Amino acid sequence: MAAQAFFTEHRRLWLALCSVLFLVASWELVLTYVFPVDPFFFTKPSLIATAFREQLQGSKLWHDLAVSSQAFIWGFAFAVIVGIPVGLVMGWRRRVEYSLDPFLTALYASPLVALAPLFIIVFGVGVLGKAALVFLLAVFPFIFNTFAGVKSTDALLINVIRSFGGNEKDLYLKVILPSTIPYIVAGARLAIGRGLVGIIVGEFYAASEGIGFAISQAGDTYRLPDMFVGIIILSLIAIILTELMRRLELTVAPWRASDEVR
Amino acid sequence: MKPAKIFAEHESLILGTGFIVLLLVIWESIPFWYTLPKGMALFFTTPSRIAAAFYELLLDGTIEKHFYISAVAFLAGLGLSIIVGLPLGLVMGRSATLEHLLDPYVTAANATPRIVFLPLLILWFGIGIWSKILIVFAGAVFPLLINTYVGVKNVNRVLVNVVRSFGANEWQVMKIVALPNSVPYIIAGLRLAIGRAILGVVVGEFFGSSHGLGYMIASAATNYKVDVVFVGVAIFMALSVILTLAVKQLESRLASWRPEAAKSF
Repeated sequence: MAAQAFFTEHRRLWLALCSVLFLVASWELVLTYVFPVDPFFFTKPSLIATAFREQLQGSKLWHDLAVSSQAFIWGFAFAVIVGIPVGLVMGWRRRVEYSLDPFLTALYASPLVALAPLFIIVFGVGVLGKAALVFLLAVFPFIFNTFAGVKSTDALLINVIRSFGGNEKDLYLKVILPSTIPYIVAGARLAIGRGLVGIIVGEFYAASEGIGFAISQAGDTYRLPDMFVGIIILSLIAIILTELMRRLELTVAPWRASDEVR
Repeated sequence: MKPAKIFAEHESLILGTGFIVLLLVIWESIPFWYTLPKGMALFFTTPSRIAAAFYELLLDGTIEKHFYISAVAFLAGLGLSIIVGLPLGLVMGRSATLEHLLDPYVTAANATPRIVFLPLLILWFGIGIWSKILIVFAGAVFPLLINTYVGVKNVNRVLVNVVRSFGANEWQVMKIVALPNSVPYIIAGLRLAIGRAILGVVVGEFFGSSHGLGYMIASAATNYKVDVVFVGVAIFMALSVILTLAVKQLESRLASWRPEAAKSF
């Protein structure tokens, strides 16, 4: 009885767990007994697990991760430093909005990753090229979400500050910035996804180290288990970062919970 | 009419186009007031040279040839993602069990940049059109699936009960209530999906490819033909903007009663 109650209570978790276990088990069994695996083109969970253990013990994986995250952090930091002020000014100054909006919207809508080959060739295969790419992709969510946040600031609060003789600086620091923070956090979640695309594409295109390079190199040399290890690690990082941002969003703005589709 | 009044009436249009024109003029005039060092000049181009390159490539049919290949990959991948994403989202929205079973994969795959699967797809499906179609599919299917699912989830329970009371089966509930209700969500998903699909085309053609606009960009960059790179980028930009605007138009027509959400591509 107790077990049944437990099951109904955590039905979601159980079903998810069963589904994943079933998939992994059938993958392993089918490739072991029904179609014996051709290691050149396919692999199975046990081989991936072995590769995973080896990679975790080796030093190459950690080195690759360090290289990639260095470029990511630089690009992302600059996106924050540039994006938030631009969005603030755009939201607050009508003429700045009119001037910048069409230009930036067009850039935001277009696949700027198409510039990746040029960036890598101009800035080199090192940290700079990748960081510039991450910046280019990640800056727009910050600009537009900050902009949307400023636009939705409560006019009443602004009037209160004005009535009590607050100056422009008070307005920015005491009303606009705080009410914009939930939007910025939501922007950060989008920016993480776009930034990761920048890192991966940059490293697929030309690199000598980094997690994206490790994945594409494993693919080129038909080391499928190693490629899956790279993909799984990258997925885990993406999931953890996205989930962290979602949590942060709930903390800074609980009332906005789940009103967004993605 | 006085110029000041014209300006006041069309302020946003004038400032918006003015800024873009100003940027282009500054870009064009850089060589006149600053002599670039030899190394930098190799990477530098101006709007007029880009336009000239565009005209030339258009005349000799290069753009047409590459555009055709890219368009096939884009349309096939997007079509496939609609065929798979819509029914799956609909079913996931109506059945809690199925939702729980599939949720881990959808959440994980949606959070991961799908580009990471490209080497795998190239390994399995070769460097032909199929690996491109599938990377476009992988990018575009999740926005469609998730938005359909959310649309179905948000369906008005009263409507479902009314249709049920009149003896509708599950298939009819989906057809009469769930699907029409999620149309605005699906269109919003389509807008996101188009962006992802174009990203998939570009990146898919960068690697292990010999045709398509993405290939044109990548090979031009390797040969330091910067103007050709910008021609490709400009084509992709124009396409994305046009498609996004078209879907937005559709969106506002179908869902004029819905508050506009924050911009998200």
